[in-house]
Amino acid sequence: MDYVVAILLPQLLHGLVFGAALGLLALGLTVIFGLLGVMNFAHGELYMLGAYAGIAVVGVTHSFWAALVVAPIAVGAIGAVTEVATLRPLYRREPLYGLILTFGLALVFREGARQIWGGDMRRILPPFTGSTPLLGMTYPNYRLFLLVASSLLLLAIWLFFTKTRAGVLVRAAVQDAEMLDGLGVNVPRVFTLTFAGSAALAALAGLLLAPIFTVYPQMGVEMILLAFIVVILGGMGSMGGSVAAAFVIGLAQSLLTLWMNPQRVAIAIFAIMIVVLIVRPRGFFGREGVLE
Amino acid sequence: MSRALSWRAVVVWALLAVLPALPFMSKFYLLLAFDALLFGAIAMSLDLLIGYTGLVSFGHAAFFGLGAYASAVLLERGVVSLWACLLFAVLVVGLYALVVGYFSTARRGIYFALLTLIFAEVVYTFFRYTQTFGGSDGIQGLPPPRLVGGFAIDTPMRNYYLVLVYLGLAYIACRVLVTSHFGKVLVAIRENEDRARFLGYNVQRYKMAVCMISALLTGLGGALYPGRSAFATPDLMLWTVSGEFIIMVMIGGLGTLAGPVVGGAFFVLLQEKVSSYVDWYFIVIGLVLIFIVLFMPKGLLGIRELLGGRRWRATA
Amino acid sequence: MKRVTWGFTTLVAVAALVWISAPAVSQPQVVKIGDLGSKVGVFEGYGKYQTWGIQMAVEELNAKGGVLGHKIEIVSEDDETKPAPAVRKAEKLILQDDVKLLVGAVSSGATLAVMDVTKKHKTIHWNSVSCAEFMRTTKFHKYYFSNQPDSRMQANGLAKYIVDKMGKKVYIFYTDYAMGQSDGRQFKTALEKLGGEVVGVAGAPLDTKDFSPWFGAINQSNPDVLFVAFAGTDSLRLMTQLHSFGMTKKYKMAGIDCFLLQQDLPSIAEPMEGFVQLNHFSPYNPDPNMQAYNARFKKKFGTDANIAAGSYDAVLFWAAAVEKAKSFDPDKVAEAHEGMCVDNTHIGRQCIRKDDHQVVMDMHLYQVKGGKNLPIARIAGSDSIGEAMVGKDPVEGFTWEIKKK
Repeated sequence: MDYVVAILLPQLLHGLVFGAALGLLALGLTVIFGLLGVMNFAHGELYMLGAYAGIAVVGVTHSFWAALVVAPIAVGAIGAVTEVATLRPLYRREPLYGLILTFGLALVFREGARQIWGGDMRRILPPFTGSTPLLGMTYPNYRLFLLVASSLLLLAIWLFFTKTRAGVLVRAAVQDAEMLDGLGVNVPRVFTLTFAGSAALAALAGLLLAPIFTVYPQMGVEMILLAFIVVILGGMGSMGGSVAAAFVIGLAQSLLTLWMNPQRVAIAIFAIMIVVLIVRPRGFFGREGVLE
Repeated sequence: MSRALSWRAVVVWALLAVLPALPFMSKFYLLLAFDALLFGAIAMSLDLLIGYTGLVSFGHAAFFGLGAYASAVLLERGVVSLWACLLFAVLVVGLYALVVGYFSTARRGIYFALLTLIFAEVVYTFFRYTQTFGGSDGIQGLPPPRLVGGFAIDTPMRNYYLVLVYLGLAYIACRVLVTSHFGKVLVAIRENEDRARFLGYNVQRYKMAVCMISALLTGLGGALYPGRSAFATPDLMLWTVSGEFIIMVMIGGLGTLAGPVVGGAFFVLLQEKVSSYVDWYFIVIGLVLIFIVLFMPKGLLGIRELLGGRRWRATA
Repeated sequence: MKRVTWGFTTLVAVAALVWISAPAVSQPQVVKIGDLGSKVGVFEGYGKYQTWGIQMAVEELNAKGGVLGHKIEIVSEDDETKPAPAVRKAEKLILQDDVKLLVGAVSSGATLAVMDVTKKHKTIHWNSVSCAEFMRTTKFHKYYFSNQPDSRMQANGLAKYIVDKMGKKVYIFYTDYAMGQSDGRQFKTALEKLGGEVVGVAGAPLDTKDFSPWFGAINQSNPDVLFVAFAGTDSLRLMTQLHSFGMTKKYKMAGIDCFLLQQDLPSIAEPMEGFVQLNHFSPYNPDPNMQAYNARFKKKFGTDANIAAGSYDAVLFWAAAVEKAKSFDPDKVAEAHEGMCVDNTHIGRQCIRKDDHQVVMDMHLYQVKGGKNLPIARIAGSDSIGEAMVGKDPVEGFTWEIKKK
């Protein structure tokens, strides 16, 4: 019992917290993949820009909450401009060009951030400190907030996609953009807005995680790989799959550290993923043959 | 094929051969030339996949790094024969490429790219966290490999000639490959995979074969690297390195073989020179890449299309 | 080859030739020294201060006419905190810029790799930041010198204080690459020798984002003291996260040299409160030499000195050795270094031990109070330096295994 309370429960919570935040990041990625067929390498950099935009806003307003609103909007705008300027001309071409293009975008964003904000690590103070006694252990309040906020956001996004006309439109575009075009919907605009939304989500994830992970130009590089794994595991293009996979990865990562050196966990995660891909190539909820 | 032996090619190879004799070629520039040719050759072997077969591998850094580690592990343990290193690299990289190739070539397009990426990350993570291979510091302070008996490849000039021979052989191999029937099938797969399948070709077997060849050429290049640098580190196989390989191919021009060689050399020289003066070098590279994707998807060699109106792709 | 391939190749070749053949504009009577440090990555801050230390020394030396009548010029290169670029840049500094002294690198992994280059090309190499124990033992070579207390020196100094004053049960948490492993090993050895008990050890990779997965194990082993061997941005993240889990209050904390620079302390003063750290410089040390040095540094760069004191001293040592050898010949300069003392370092007189080219330096233990490193104890250099072990394996017989009491 001691073991459960002192060791197992905290790890479980770590896993949920991280999984929820990862879910936010992966969700934007998978929607863009479903919609544009582009695996966005620059998604990690949008996540990074979100954190820096947050620092800038906090610097002016001294309010984390203001940053939570303004930073995603700003990064969403950057996303929209990027989409129109660089990705739109590529729609009719092979999706692989999009992949390579976003790799270039990532380089520019990352190095640009380093030029503007410097390469050293920045910190964002959490809006509240302290910790809560929880089942016999202490858990930082901010991490609890992170879990609740991310879960609520995921719920809100789910409602958006199922209950609103705009959400249904996007989902329809993911299924069949040409048919939507035939129905007189301005498809390029749907694309641009969705890309902006995905960028805003990445930015939100970046800012929410910033008080824990700290902020520096390279911060997106490692997260993006994890997000890729989540998206592939969940089934590329499947939103529910991504969220489920994010929690699986988050929980696996933190629970496995109980039995093995945390360093070996990274390899274990890859192993899980390779096994899943062999047994079930399209991931948890993926459709057969998306963009193959 | 005859073009490979044209007088221009002869001039280029001759120039490369006498390069170390030129007065301004200091030891440092020879090392730089080594890197330029080595990465040129690797970009060329990646072009077999991207340019000819239409498979974008985002995991070539793993082939390169595995080759480097194979050789480094032997050198560290006192096996200093270059041939042993190369042989071991072929074995290790070949085995790994077999596994990667088997699973990745079953999927197309982006899935192939992502699968190669994930497999490469496994290799990277393994070496980064395995203390037997030096963990994140890698294997350092290696002795130079020996060609025969006591003849060690220990000077920049010897290293340069070694890589030049490697580039030459790799170029001939790739040339022969793409002009052969095999090469024509690869292009057919790129243009229309289903059609190639209907014509009765075992598409996956062709893909696996070209994957193996590309991986082995890259691995051999990797095996030469510790001789020049005296180390092998996990950073050599970071996924961003794979991205750089793709950039080299894109700069040079897809499906041209010679283009990526020039692209690789160009990338190395640019990086060395520009990064000494300005530290926003990666913005330059990123913008170049974006520009090429948007306006010159056929690489810098695509300019020819604008100038001469000839078909851009070496359709083998 | 195709026509345009040909044209493009020519273009690249010509451009490369122009680049290459552009003669390096160097006046006569100039000697170059190389500054190799991290300008990107976990240790970016350390690289910046290393450069500043060198700049200050060079400025002062040039004001007095340079060295052997040569003006000194600095060539700075970024090693990206990784061994591979570090070697490439070191080769560039030595073979192309012809530097007579190379200072660097910051990360131990990079420094170990660069040592092969300076040995091969016979270049005087000063290390003033890295502290892995292999540098003055198995990797040692004739041209290598160091004024950074390595892991062995730090462990000798710190372990005694911890066992005497802080507590006997210690958990060792280290950054899992050359530097942290070395610190962890040496500290464990020293602590067990002094009768302390290591209740647990764990390593986290360089650049770990979230340390919380390790916290369960630490809490489970219930130590008195948590010893942390991290540096750079890793330290900042670790302390912030430990603090949010209430662990900085629960355990007494101690750490290695370079754990955090004084500059970083004010922003995380609260998590760092009470932290015991070994350092060879603090602006709050009343030592008159340190105070005078810090005043000059602050006037020039507008901030307090730190590890910059190390690279500053390194250049002074080298310049003095060159003057003594009356030559830039690496063999002569290296020999001139051996056993040499210099009076005007940041802490006054310091000497280089002949046996393993280590500067015998007094170190101070500091405790953080209100974001300031305040001195609490002094360890004489002769007490901590330990026997010279050139060529011997400093970790022979070592095991990470914990002896249960």
